[in-house]
Amino acid sequence: MRVRIILGMAALAAGVAVLAVVPSASSDDTVVRYDRESRYYRIQVVDYPAQGRRCLHFSKSRGIQSSMILADPVRLDLKYSQAMIAALALHPDPREVLLIGLGGASIPKFLQKYYPELKLDIVELDPDVVRVCQDYFEFRGNAKTRVFVMDGRMYLKRAQKQYDVILLDAYAADHMPFHLTTVEFIQLVKSHLKPGGVAASNLWEKAINRFYLAELKTFQATFPQVYLLPAAQSGNIIVFGTMAEEPVTRKDWVLRAEERVRGLDIGFDLADLIGREYRFLTDRKIGEAVLTDDKAPVNTLRHEHPKHFEEEGASP
Amino acid sequence: MIRAVVLAAVFLSGAALMSLEMAGFRLVQPEFGSDIIVWGSLISVFLGGLAIGAFLGGRLADRRPALWKLGAILALGGVVALSIPLYSDAVLDYMFPGEGAPLPEEWNDGGAGTGDGQLVVYMPPDLRWPTLGVGLLLFLVPAVLLGMVTPYAAKLLIHALGHLGSGVGKISGLSTVGAIVGTLGTTFYLITWMGTRWLLAANGLVLVGLGLALALAHLATPRE
Repeated sequence: MRVRIILGMAALAAGVAVLAVVPSASSDDTVVRYDRESRYYRIQVVDYPAQGRRCLHFSKSRGIQSSMILADPVRLDLKYSQAMIAALALHPDPREVLLIGLGGASIPKFLQKYYPELKLDIVELDPDVVRVCQDYFEFRGNAKTRVFVMDGRMYLKRAQKQYDVILLDAYAADHMPFHLTTVEFIQLVKSHLKPGGVAASNLWEKAINRFYLAELKTFQATFPQVYLLPAAQSGNIIVFGTMAEEPVTRKDWVLRAEERVRGLDIGFDLADLIGREYRFLTDRKIGEAVLTDDKAPVNTLRHEHPKHFEEEGASP
Repeated sequence: MIRAVVLAAVFLSGAALMSLEMAGFRLVQPEFGSDIIVWGSLISVFLGGLAIGAFLGGRLADRRPALWKLGAILALGGVVALSIPLYSDAVLDYMFPGEGAPLPEEWNDGGAGTGDGQLVVYMPPDLRWPTLGVGLLLFLVPAVLLGMVTPYAAKLLIHALGHLGSGVGKISGLSTVGAIVGTLGTTFYLITWMGTRWLLAANGLVLVGLGLALALAHLATPRE
């Protein structure tokens, strides 16, 4: 009896040791490359060999943070990240970009490759995410890239620098820090934009809910012009706010996008994406309250359906 | 009658304490983020306040305990809670992490990276002591005042309670049940419904009201 227990324990210990060393292959043919608790998340890097993809999860059951095609690590694999790039076409001449929320570094890698002259600042809360991006997602530095490890709002409060484009990708499906949703924060973002600057935020919503509308309303309350690109089938919705007095029409934005990617093989059709998904939101009536530091019931609103919202896009 | 009022004070001060703590997280997060350090700091401040309050409250209770004095403690706690929004922004600004340290020059100029693929990473300012400082400045005083309630109430009711063990147990348990109600009520409903500032005000008003009720009970009690 005792022998059996000892043997059992030895086998268990061996199993644990194997699990700790070798990437585990589970029945659905995925390989877990990295699975560790960081200070903020449970970070998992999972390979899906059948698809040739590597994904970043903050816990696998909670959706994909980032996806990389192993054979082409710079390609933007997720629709939402493609839609975020549209911000660069909304601005006439982007030179300095701030990204809040690193994810799997897909957007930085893309910008470094196709727009090597861009100065790129990145703010990421979790130092382990930065490390994982370097070790598993082929993220490298260059002469134009800097990473600040801290809360996005804290960075903006301290930094005096202004940008042409600010990309907000700081929400995860089940982690919606309320202080990065409020009008005080969006105004802080706006104050770090140069004249004509563009802010874009990935709202990460699978369906229209009251939070999503309240955040659109908050953008409306802050920016002269507001646009929306629902990224098809990915559960992400990108809202854009610009400092421009005059609205940009669907046609203008499409033309600028064609201009912006001319001669580049970026792997997706940016102009077509904008042309299909363009929504002009500046004048849209939204029956939700602006989110404030004092009152931002984000997690309650996310689970409530709005009373009424027209999905059809209007054109200026 | 006295018993009911004092027990109500125990229950509601327990609820208010935790409601203030939950409001505290919402007040601090915009400037300090949602880091676990923020949770640790605020929880420690409230526990520390409770400990100091229990110590002071017990000593005060042994010197001629009176209903009105307990009322005064609660009302004072209420006034502090009411006034937090008046100075919270100033405290948060003053303690803002790294504010005293000189801003690195390279933060604001162009790129500081090198061309060799090495990633340039700036590490964050230390959040620990500024966050603890904010907690102490904003919440230590109300936590001490509310922490005084339980021992003081035990002393006031010592004769009405009968057996000391079960009596003190009852008061302590009631206070904790109040704390649960305050925590769940605040996080599930009140924050969404009224926002942080009104929540602080509501707690303050409840405590001031309790203080007045205890003073009235004191006046209504026949002197010996």
